[in-house]
Amino acid sequence: MIHDCSLGEMMIGAIARTIEDSTLAFHGYGSPLVQLALHVAKRTHAPNMVLVAGATYGLNPTPPFLSPTSNDWVMDRGAAHSLNIEELFDLAAAGRMGRMFLSGLQIDKWGNCNVTSLGKNKLAMKLPGGGGGCNLSCDVENLTLWTTGHRSPPDSSGRRRLRLVEQCDFVTSLGHRAVDGRTRQALGYRGKGPQWIVTDLGLFDFDTEGHARLRAVYPDVSVEEVRENTGFELRLAGTVEAVPPPDHKTLALIRHLDPLHVHEHETRAEDRGRRFEVA
Amino acid sequence: MSEQHTSPRDWHDRPDRVQTRADKRVRLEDLAGMVNDGDVVAVGGGLSSREPMAILRALLRRGVGNLRVVGSAHGIDIDLLCGGGAVSCSSESYVGFEQDFGIAPNYRRACESGAVSVDDSCCYTVVQQLRASVLGLPFMPMRSARGTSFPALHPEYKTMTCPYTGEELLLVPQLTPDVAILHAQYGDALGNLRIEGPPVLDLLFAKASRLVIASVEEIVPTERLVELGGITVPYFYVAALAEVPMGAHPTACYPFYTYDRPHTAHYYTAARGGAACFAADYLQPFVYGCADHESYRKRIGGEATYQRLAAWSAGTEAWMSLYREEATQ
Repeated sequence: MIHDCSLGEMMIGAIARTIEDSTLAFHGYGSPLVQLALHVAKRTHAPNMVLVAGATYGLNPTPPFLSPTSNDWVMDRGAAHSLNIEELFDLAAAGRMGRMFLSGLQIDKWGNCNVTSLGKNKLAMKLPGGGGGCNLSCDVENLTLWTTGHRSPPDSSGRRRLRLVEQCDFVTSLGHRAVDGRTRQALGYRGKGPQWIVTDLGLFDFDTEGHARLRAVYPDVSVEEVRENTGFELRLAGTVEAVPPPDHKTLALIRHLDPLHVHEHETRAEDRGRRFEVA
Repeated sequence: MSEQHTSPRDWHDRPDRVQTRADKRVRLEDLAGMVNDGDVVAVGGGLSSREPMAILRALLRRGVGNLRVVGSAHGIDIDLLCGGGAVSCSSESYVGFEQDFGIAPNYRRACESGAVSVDDSCCYTVVQQLRASVLGLPFMPMRSARGTSFPALHPEYKTMTCPYTGEELLLVPQLTPDVAILHAQYGDALGNLRIEGPPVLDLLFAKASRLVIASVEEIVPTERLVELGGITVPYFYVAALAEVPMGAHPTACYPFYTYDRPHTAHYYTAARGGAACFAADYLQPFVYGCADHESYRKRIGGEATYQRLAAWSAGTEAWMSLYREEATQ
């Protein structure tokens, strides 16, 4: 009997709820929370989703377990076919890809993400880079953003290195406003931009202006805490609700799909003790 | 890479030769000898799979430098080249160890010190640039990347108004790597390559590059390639190949062996410890201190290591056990 769940499982549940049925969805790499959310969605409310695995481009795979890296034959077992890299990106460019998932070491109020470099004029820190995220952020119909680093406690000198920022130092993937202020509509993009941000503190959607808006928090988080850890004006979506925990079936699936607990590598050590009651 | 891309010479100097030597088998060191200082290099494979690690180690032993690396999703391959001081510019779209270990330490240090200039790209942009080369065209159009910070980083990208629809498009110039360095499961003496599993950008690299060199796990007769399921890269693209068993180690080369996570953990600890630590704990024992690939194979544990990594095929439990936390302790 399952009584409670972890933050990672809460986030997987929240990401899975952003995935609709009968769409073509793709996860990148370095993102076990998203990989699991897709496999959960496929096995629960979105059986007709076309699931394309990141890195292997396997079509509707049934991996026996989650491997610690994405370009591993583990991850495309059960796939009757695999796409190649150009076909995958062509699908997005031609408007056939329904949902993709992106993250950043900086995420700004418009949902722009930075995974390229920190430092505005001078390089302060080189980040790994965005893979195909730049192109996909423009072309894919709907985007779910996520981060496990929203909480930004002050360091010894009292400074916070915020994850949710007013403006990204480098825009790797596009949100609702371009670097020159243009909207996606003005740029002629088919992709509608970020729809959700799932974080370790709560859940944001975007208002009509394209600005992030807090919609829900986890039961152990207050709106004030979210405000302290957010680098832009905190807009609220009416009443801020509690993020619901995943149901038993979802939790059983996650635990079955990830026996090595690979997804826990994505959450911070200090968050791994957080537990949430499951009804 | 702007000066490379904007030269009109580029699209007249396409890799139009065909490689027809009847026997392309050479030694690993001969392959490394075909890469020159300053080359634009496309490294095959991706993340933790099928990266041509033995050739890269041989390049470091030769002391090749000033390489400009281009590609999509990479990890230990580009990080090792950076740690060995062989890279001057990176146009990769990603260099890291995913959530498994994190940011690539040598790559990060080299970028932050200025030793490697940051010229990041994005997967589809690279695909379109390679396609231009494959098609013999000077550029390819696309919609995406406008509105992000990439066009400012790449003044060689241009915009145009589509003469048919009136919409704004981004043009990205042809990318013709000087050399593609690949590792495949199988090849034959003619140079045909058979890649099993995700090909990543290898096929586009092979078609777009001026020179293609490859290591393979096994060289087999052409008929055997056909029996195995066919050829991925036809021989006339390939200049030379060498049989290098475990040539992708410590990345995976299924069905032969998996990703060597304990070895990668050791690599990562050494790299994270700083340049001196990396030189002493990794470069010396595993690159410069190994005269050739045979001595590298002995250094990593020889047949016992191969058998450990080949054990994945025994079943899910055996496969999973290779990736358990305690396996990296």
